Amino acid sequence: MESNPGLHRWVSAILRCGLALALVAAALGLTFLLQSVVSTAGYLFFYIAAIASAWFGGRLPGFIAVVLSVMTVAYFLPPANSFQVNRESLPIFVEFSVSALVVGWFSSWRRQAETELQYARDELQLRVEERTAELQHSNSQLLAEMAERKRAEDAYYEAQAELARVTRMSAMGALAASISHEVNQPLAAVVTNADACMMWLSTEPPNIEEARAAVDAIAQQGTRASEVVRHVRAMFTKATPERTKVQVNDLIREVSVLIEGAALRNQVALQTELGVDLPATIGDRVQLQQVMVNLILNGIEAMRDVTDRPRRLLISSLLENSDEVLVTVRDSGVGIAPQDEKRIFDAFFTTKAQGMGMGLSISHSIIESHGGRLWASSNADHGATVHFTLPVDHKSTS
Amino acid sequence: MNESDPIVFVVDDDASVRDAVKRLIASVGLRVETFGSTGEFLAANRPQAPACLVLDVRLPDVSGLELQRDLAAANIHIPIIFITGHADVPMSVRAMKAGAVEFLTKPFRGQELLDAIQEAIARDRVAWNERAQMAQLRARYDSLTPREKEVLKLVASGLLNKQIGAELGASELTIKTHRGRVMQKMGADSLADLVKMAERLDPSSRTYK
Repeated sequence: MESNPGLHRWVSAILRCGLALALVAAALGLTFLLQSVVSTAGYLFFYIAAIASAWFGGRLPGFIAVVLSVMTVAYFLPPANSFQVNRESLPIFVEFSVSALVVGWFSSWRRQAETELQYARDELQLRVEERTAELQHSNSQLLAEMAERKRAEDAYYEAQAELARVTRMSAMGALAASISHEVNQPLAAVVTNADACMMWLSTEPPNIEEARAAVDAIAQQGTRASEVVRHVRAMFTKATPERTKVQVNDLIREVSVLIEGAALRNQVALQTELGVDLPATIGDRVQLQQVMVNLILNGIEAMRDVTDRPRRLLISSLLENSDEVLVTVRDSGVGIAPQDEKRIFDAFFTTKAQGMGMGLSISHSIIESHGGRLWASSNADHGATVHFTLPVDHKSTS
Repeated sequence: MNESDPIVFVVDDDASVRDAVKRLIASVGLRVETFGSTGEFLAANRPQAPACLVLDVRLPDVSGLELQRDLAAANIHIPIIFITGHADVPMSVRAMKAGAVEFLTKPFRGQELLDAIQEAIARDRVAWNERAQMAQLRARYDSLTPREKEVLKLVASGLLNKQIGAELGASELTIKTHRGRVMQKMGADSLADLVKMAERLDPSSRTYK
């Protein structure tokens, strides 16, 4: 059809003209049929033929039908059996011709209007469909983009968490190597002096002076080792390079975003209950983030083996006594064994297979250096809650 | 204590470890000298006696392992006992392959170090005696006149007095006199002894092919 529109148009035109011819012929037949029953049949069928031709065929077939009908009517009007129209038949002839033309033209005009309307409707329908398809396409594209974005975000947060972990681990590794060297030197001196002391005491006669010097050195080196340990502790508590205004709720939100991936992977529902209009506190944002991350990761880890109840981690914040902001991290994990309660904040104490036992110890030191407190308690039902407080920054509130 | 008594050198940058090791070694009656860096050790006058070196791996200027390499390159042969705060396997393997006597990780037991020191000194004593004998021999050889050195060389190569005389254009009697003086100056008890000495002085002079 689309391949040869010219041919199609011609076939259609011939068919439509044929239709007009057939309709006029049918009208003629019907008129004859009617005339055999009643004396005068009139021109009703010719009108119908003109209207139908104009309606179904268009203007040209309508006009052809009108012309044919007029010729036929002229043929049958007196003088009958001739195309001549005499004076007395003229008014009827003219009346028929004009009314047939008008009716045919009106029909074809009406038909055309309707066709145009239909076409416009079809067009509209098509446009709507097209637009719908377009919208569906961009919708699915948008969904794909959102999924991609979500994936990228997840990867980003995962990478960030991994980076934080690696940074922490490598910093810890370097620190551990440095501490072990610093402690090992005096220890080596202590052991060697002790052996030397024994040697000097077992000579014949025993050399008390040398033995005394060795014991003196042992005491000195023992003190030196403990100094090193004291310095390490001081490093965590006093190294506070930055003190800025910190909104605890912002901190919780930032850390929640960081930790989302880990929570999701461990099927832990992360919930927050943040106090309204909390005053700001003063602190080292990075250190406080580290504390939050430590506590939350500990909570998530404590729920690793929990299968008989929901793994729920609730972080809440509230104002206490108008001068402290209290943050709690509550998990539904395995909880703290009674015998461990006192030791969980000791350096190197851990119940985890791969833990270093530094997380809680460092967190404790950080919170204390901020003038706050950090403690843990067992929940009545399951799991443990770690609490810490930070003093309110009165300068910003007054 | 005198100049030829064995001596232990200790190189460690940590004064407390250095002093403790010195105290321990002194308790068994050995001479000890301590240094805070490899530079100090190299700059010091080392007595001519059997010795060993107790060396920390981690040192401020040149590391213990580098010093071991440098000493070997400078043809200074002194047995080394390494002490280190944290030893990894490749490090200890490298040190032992390069001829270290022992590789001890701090803190070590005193007896371990003393045993290693005794072994190192015993090793060095053998090498040192060897070197001392060689030095003596060299000194005696240097006291020979050029003529006597020529005679010694030809005697060692197995020629008879008559043949040597023909070679050097001198009478058999003269050669006999030279030979007697050579024997006396070199402190040789017999001809066989003298030939052995000549071979030690110049291993390339071996003639029995």
